Amino acid sequence: MKLGKDIDILEGLPILYIKSLNALVCSDLHLGFEGVMASKGIFIPKANLKKIKSEIVKARKMRMPDTIIIDGDIKNEFSNVHVEEFNEFDEFVKFLKSIGFKRIVLIKGNHDNFIDRYRSSTGIEIAKQEMKIGKYLFFHGEKMPEENLKEVKTWIMGHVHPAIAVYNKVGVKEKLFCFLVGKLGKGRELIILPAMNFFAGGVEVNMNRVRDISPIFKLADVNDMRALCIGEGETLDFGKVGKLRYK
Amino acid sequence: MATFLIFFRAIVAIISGRSPRIRTVQRHGGKVIAVTHSSNRDCLAIAKLIFMISRYDAPFSRKESLDSLNANVRDWFAEKYNDLTPPQLYSFKLIGEKKNLLITAPTGSGKTFSAFMSIISDLIRMAERKELEDKVYCIYISPLRALSNDIYRNLEDPLNGIYAKMPQDAKKISVGVRTGDTPQQERQRQLRKPPNILVTTPESLAILINSKNFAEHMKSVKYVIIDEIHELANNKRGVHLSLSLERLDDLIGHDFVRIGMGATLYPLEEAARYLVGYNEDNTERDCYIIDATWDKKMEYLAMCPVKDIINTSAETIEENTYKILNNIIKGNATTLVFTNTRSGTERVVYNLMKKFKYGEQDLAAHHGSLSRETRLGVEDMLKKGKLKCVVSSTSLELGIDIGTIDNVVQLGSPKSVTRAIQRIGRSGHGFYGIAKGEVIVMNRDDLVECAVMLDSAKRHTLDSFSTPKNALDVLAQHIVGMCLTKTWRIDDAYAMVKRAYPYGGLQKKDFDGLIEYLSGSYVGLESRHVYGKIWMDEKENTIGKRGRFTRLIYYLNIGTIPDTVSVNVYSEGNKWVGSIEEEFLGRLKPGDIFVLGGKPYRFDHSREMRAYVTRAESRMPTIPPWFSEQLPLTYELAVEIGKFRKKLSESMAKPLANRKKIVSLLKKNRIKPDAQSSKVLDSMPIDRNAKNAIFGYFAEQLLFAKHVPNDRLLLIEKTKDRQTKRNYIIFHCLYGRRINDVLSRAFAILFSEFYETDVGIMINDNGFVIVIDSGIKTNKKDVDEIISELTGKNLVRLIKDNIRRTEMMKRRFRHCAARGFMILRNYKGIKISVRKQQFNAEALLKATEQISPDFPILKETYREIMEDVMDLPRAKDIISRIKSGELEYKIIETPLPSPFSHIMITFGEPDIVMMKDRRKHLRELRKQVLSIIAE
Repeated sequence: MKLGKDIDILEGLPILYIKSLNALVCSDLHLGFEGVMASKGIFIPKANLKKIKSEIVKARKMRMPDTIIIDGDIKNEFSNVHVEEFNEFDEFVKFLKSIGFKRIVLIKGNHDNFIDRYRSSTGIEIAKQEMKIGKYLFFHGEKMPEENLKEVKTWIMGHVHPAIAVYNKVGVKEKLFCFLVGKLGKGRELIILPAMNFFAGGVEVNMNRVRDISPIFKLADVNDMRALCIGEGETLDFGKVGKLRYK
Repeated sequence: MATFLIFFRAIVAIISGRSPRIRTVQRHGGKVIAVTHSSNRDCLAIAKLIFMISRYDAPFSRKESLDSLNANVRDWFAEKYNDLTPPQLYSFKLIGEKKNLLITAPTGSGKTFSAFMSIISDLIRMAERKELEDKVYCIYISPLRALSNDIYRNLEDPLNGIYAKMPQDAKKISVGVRTGDTPQQERQRQLRKPPNILVTTPESLAILINSKNFAEHMKSVKYVIIDEIHELANNKRGVHLSLSLERLDDLIGHDFVRIGMGATLYPLEEAARYLVGYNEDNTERDCYIIDATWDKKMEYLAMCPVKDIINTSAETIEENTYKILNNIIKGNATTLVFTNTRSGTERVVYNLMKKFKYGEQDLAAHHGSLSRETRLGVEDMLKKGKLKCVVSSTSLELGIDIGTIDNVVQLGSPKSVTRAIQRIGRSGHGFYGIAKGEVIVMNRDDLVECAVMLDSAKRHTLDSFSTPKNALDVLAQHIVGMCLTKTWRIDDAYAMVKRAYPYGGLQKKDFDGLIEYLSGSYVGLESRHVYGKIWMDEKENTIGKRGRFTRLIYYLNIGTIPDTVSVNVYSEGNKWVGSIEEEFLGRLKPGDIFVLGGKPYRFDHSREMRAYVTRAESRMPTIPPWFSEQLPLTYELAVEIGKFRKKLSESMAKPLANRKKIVSLLKKNRIKPDAQSSKVLDSMPIDRNAKNAIFGYFAEQLLFAKHVPNDRLLLIEKTKDRQTKRNYIIFHCLYGRRINDVLSRAFAILFSEFYETDVGIMINDNGFVIVIDSGIKTNKKDVDEIISELTGKNLVRLIKDNIRRTEMMKRRFRHCAARGFMILRNYKGIKISVRKQQFNAEALLKATEQISPDFPILKETYREIMEDVMDLPRAKDIISRIKSGELEYKIIETPLPSPFSHIMITFGEPDIVMMKDRRKHLRELRKQVLSIIAE
């Protein structure tokens, strides 16, 4: 699905492709999630890294990007780097290199503390808070970007884990993960990426209040944003969030 | 050949001294009297050696029974009690002979002494011989902690009395209580000086068998008593206990006498099998069954609160119900009222107080949501005879000693014969007093149901229970526990598990699957130290404990009762109106109308653990209330109702010939059963209003639809809703909700595929309705075709697919994962909140499915839903009976829904306060039916 001339949502995937950068963009991987959970007594089977890898392989086959931008929360724990996280992080970076990515950029999110120590050993670029690449502003989204970058026309963020809930006639709820696309005022645009994490619950933006999740919603009205949902092998435009509210 | 074998076995048994006859002769030193006296029984006993589980119907005499006790014990007992109660006339002697025994008898029948007297006698003999040591000889297990304390007190008195007759220096029998509430200090003391009689709960026992030090003290256990066995044999908690007992047997290297006690529980043979389990060669262990259920006299009556239950307004019915209730309360010293829901309980107390000026000193509520202190206070006041009336949901059904109750009133159908008997049986002065009960019904289906229920009770026809089989989550816990005590050969562990009754049919591959799961083979080697709770040596075929924290995990997460979370509900102005289960909240979308505390509310939104609603007066609920609270009708009772429908409708065919007259009588509500039908109705324990109402109900159905669905006839009715014009396909299959849940889902899928549209379902115990949009044309031929499509085989597939998408699947998966130690409730001493346990259950399910669709926790979740929650086996049986033609089905077309479906389609369950709208709708429907019949 095209989002303007330069940006493409790869059909059925939680991944953007930006032509001018020849880059994939994705967010909220939360690698090592299962291991971290296991250390807390929830022994969930490993499924996350496998899913992420397969989606990136699919995306790479559609276009031939040489850059990948990860828009925050590559790992899960706030306070440290869990051994399970390091193992998966390491495996993931090696995997990206092995399938031909030349440039790997990580925008640090609120879960990405202490990741800097792996900068030199892995050779990835790490941005502390936000980064302007080409004509785009990438930032994770739990904080507003710096003043000097606020003029950039297109903002791309993660953090929210957006989803919408829909009910069929018999009242069964379905949850769909989605991109949110909308205006920011002053002719600026905002794209919110869905979470790549297999276990992400997804925040139902048409059911809940989102104001507390990110300060961005002071600038952008979520009801005015379009929900572009990830279906089976295709991306579906569900229209504006405000229209999807049940009342 | 077979006869010869049986005979041969009996002979071997006699030679090896296993027959009661040989024992009798030995015990009584060859007294001829004893032998002749019991010779009949001996023949019986020999025959019974072939059937390992058997009933014992010939009581011993008072003298024989007392003679089997130690002299001091006998003297104390004889001084204190004139007579032995019926169960005691069996148990004193049989337990004295070290027989496994299942005793079922009503409250007040001296059950506790039935079990304990012979054991105390044995221990006193040991004390006299100076053989009594500081060891555990008897373990008493009760599912209720409160009961543990009762027992402790109940034993104090006889022990003091008996020791008063003995020399001062005689060693005292010690009794100790060990539950989750037992303070650390007391536990330490018990470790130093173990009690002779240990009173405990299933969970505490499971911990004790894992305690190396305490296990040593249990080596001498001779008796295990399971009390309130009906509370255990039908659920996972009981399954858990059955494995603990086999582990205890294995741990101490010998079996013990097993004594089960409980209220009414059928089939008793199943309960006995649960109690004793299997021998190593897979044959059933011996067990005698003593059934004293019917020795208590009972009187009961189903009452219709008004003359005309269909046309009377909800207010008047309620008014009359309370009037009747008040008269009963006034006419008796103490009345116990049962409702079917907790909210109903609160409402009845509130209304009784308001209408008749009862105060808190006369009247109280007792249910599971109340605090422990409140409940104990109420029980105490009851025991002291201070309360006029107590209203309860299920909490006073069983067990706890509540003193004397004169009368029991049940509001609405209790949905099972057994439950009705249990509840009514709570009344009556002692064992020999007469139990009295009234059931006040709420609507016409309720009426028929209760009439047949009480009639079944009269005929001693009870509904059955079954024990969950091969529950993998419970077994996972025990395998971890087993590995903590020693290294096992896998085959030995498997053989031990199979001795527990619920696992007698466990497949080796399922057992192996569990071992793989528990050893963490579903993650890579590098993470196995975190995931694995046991190790497995494939070469040696052995398993054992792994990890520093495993013991802690076992102790902190043992048990089978899932954590649930309630969400507080607030209406306008932040006013708290009640609470709902988190799972219920998960089903609500903004705009849904649901009933809470008898009032309808509209759901607005939820935040954190709060739900916000607004009052929605006179709106029909969109979410049926049965979702959380209601009990399902039992299958056996459902079938009995089907038989009754057949019998009564067949008696009615002729008198309905004069249509005009009947309709006019129906309209004026003057209808009365004719002579033929009276023959059927008069023998039933129901009042006059009830008889007339049942007759009228059947007459309407017959005149309108020409058919009354019954146990041999499945009536399928194609019709429309008059207002919305939606298509209704009504299946009058009276099998109870557990079965209808399966059938309705399967048919809904087939209908939805056939017409390529979403369909809705309405369901209750009496049948279900498939709702199809008005725009779609349906016809009888389609229905026939769809029925022919359903087979037993695709039923399982359809249901599995359907279950997978339900909220119930996610919820039950979490429960199974918690029981199976996959999602811990408590890890390294830190409690994990339910919210965290629940995080994105959908993804967790998907991840698990990726490992294998047969992953033990997943497999168990499906089993639990299909066999414990629903009743897939019986649903399958019904489908195959339809296929074979044994169960006839008939498709009819009607201009509007026939009377027997009215309650089904105005969904919701009968409860004390009926929704006004629902009744209005019912009355409207009936008016339309009558006008059509009259034409």
